Amino acid sequence: MNLRRVSYTGVLYLCSAALVIFCGVPLLWMLFTSLKPPQDLFAYPPRIFGRYTLANFQRLMSDTDFLTYLKNSIVVAGITVLLDIVVATFGAYSLTRFRYPGKDTLANITLFTYMFAPIMIIIPVYVLLKELNLTNSHLGIILAYTSISLPFTLWLLRAFFLSLPIELEQAAFVDGANRFQSLVHVVVPQALPGVIATSVFAFVVVWNDYLFARVLLNDRLLQTMPVGLQDIYESTIVDWGLLMSGAVIVTIPAIIFFLIVQRFLIQGWGMGAVKG
Amino acid sequence: MSRAKLAIQGLLLFLPAFIVIFGFIFFPVGYSLWLSLTNKHAIFPHYDFVGLGNYVGLAHEQEYWWSFWRGVIFSVGSIFFQVLLGLLAALLLNEAFFGRGFVRGIALFPYMLPTIVVILIWKWLLSASYGPVNYLFQALGLIQAPVVWLGEHWLMASTIFVAVWQFFPFVVISLLARLQTIDLQLYEAAAIDGANAWRRFLHVTLPELRYVLFVVILLRTFFMFTKFDVPWLMATGGGLQLLVQNLPVYAFRRTFRFMLAGEGAAVSVSLFLLLIVLSVIYFRSYRREAET
Repeated sequence: MNLRRVSYTGVLYLCSAALVIFCGVPLLWMLFTSLKPPQDLFAYPPRIFGRYTLANFQRLMSDTDFLTYLKNSIVVAGITVLLDIVVATFGAYSLTRFRYPGKDTLANITLFTYMFAPIMIIIPVYVLLKELNLTNSHLGIILAYTSISLPFTLWLLRAFFLSLPIELEQAAFVDGANRFQSLVHVVVPQALPGVIATSVFAFVVVWNDYLFARVLLNDRLLQTMPVGLQDIYESTIVDWGLLMSGAVIVTIPAIIFFLIVQRFLIQGWGMGAVKG
Repeated sequence: MSRAKLAIQGLLLFLPAFIVIFGFIFFPVGYSLWLSLTNKHAIFPHYDFVGLGNYVGLAHEQEYWWSFWRGVIFSVGSIFFQVLLGLLAALLLNEAFFGRGFVRGIALFPYMLPTIVVILIWKWLLSASYGPVNYLFQALGLIQAPVVWLGEHWLMASTIFVAVWQFFPFVVISLLARLQTIDLQLYEAAAIDGANAWRRFLHVTLPELRYVLFVVILLRTFFMFTKFDVPWLMATGGGLQLLVQNLPVYAFRRTFRFMLAGEGAAVSVSLFLLLIVLSVIYFRSYRREAET
């Protein structure tokens, strides 16, 4: 191996190390902080080795409403994704396997709604939900979340359905299946990886949202996790051990989902997969 | 099955999506346009039509233009560094080396974190008296005394930095997907012609990335100019909100703090119109350049 080759490899690893430190160390810091006893937090210089404890997590469960926030987040995100995927699957199937006038216009309009930022939608949605008496309820926020996530779930599933070979469906029709049976028994099973990835993206959008929850929910016990965590930050003398243990818990689903969809992210089928 | 019947079946399948998209997106956006022409209070139902009054009022409002320029600084700054860092990282992660998958995973991760988590982590890392960043910089001799990163002098820079950290993986994901489809023969041909690595990047990679870079910058522009949570959360608790107040934050405060839904809607509509104009200009200049 010549010198050029060695230095090339050296530069690659040096840059990679820098990138890993840049992105990874803040996460490790979050984890270490959450596991440190309170009196060690402000040790200066900051330390990594030493005593570790789960006390922060215990305090988070007993002293704050974090579990309620977590439960609310799971319920709201879960129901939204379910609703989203059912509506989007029907819609995407319609856009890819049927012929009717105005179909392309519908697809384009769906894409166009990408341009409407949450800050544009939240003001009228708040006023409208207020009139319907649906503010401060999970039903109202689920409807709002479904509307902001549907355009891109629909668009993603459409791209995915388009990439499926049509022969299997034709065979199913020959065997006497109707459209609905074909969708449920042929298309969805084939598209399952795509459906899962799409669900994950929708889940992450809802799971991470701060704005809608802040505006639409007033009752503390209905609140979801991002706003809840922010409220814990604002309501106490800043207690980093407590806050970081909350942050760790909130991050766990993100890690799991990331592992599921990483393959899709890298393949990059459809840049529309990511928003925000 | 007849054609017409199939078409009806198809339309029926799309109906739920149609209801959601029109009922919950287009209708509210249209309603927002209407609200921006009224003096609607955020809660009380009664309101009057005021024509373009809100817009005229905003045009004369100092805080509107202040927020506009703060938003420009935040967006342009964060987009520039996101794209730069994202491009460098994508080029690195497109090379073949042992452990690449691991590095990719870590590098894409900040994007998946909830914004609140990103903000809390960095508020802790950047905190003035016990912050690890201040410790590190002092240990390295870069600074003499702890810097108040979240204070008035550095808040904007810190906010841009945090946004770059969170969103540069978006650029990496998008560019990486495109980089993987570049025909390797182009590089071989360039190498045979005696082009060094820099020239190969300039004459092969960059032209191939042109279109995706165009789209990425367009999307990032939309996302960063309409970003609410990052500037809002970075400044809470410090009383320094104005320093990083962009138009979305201004719209939020008008609507939900001062309860002026009509004015708030006008702010968000003006922002949207601005972005439309910006993207039309951007599209035109791209097309003109692509033709030459």
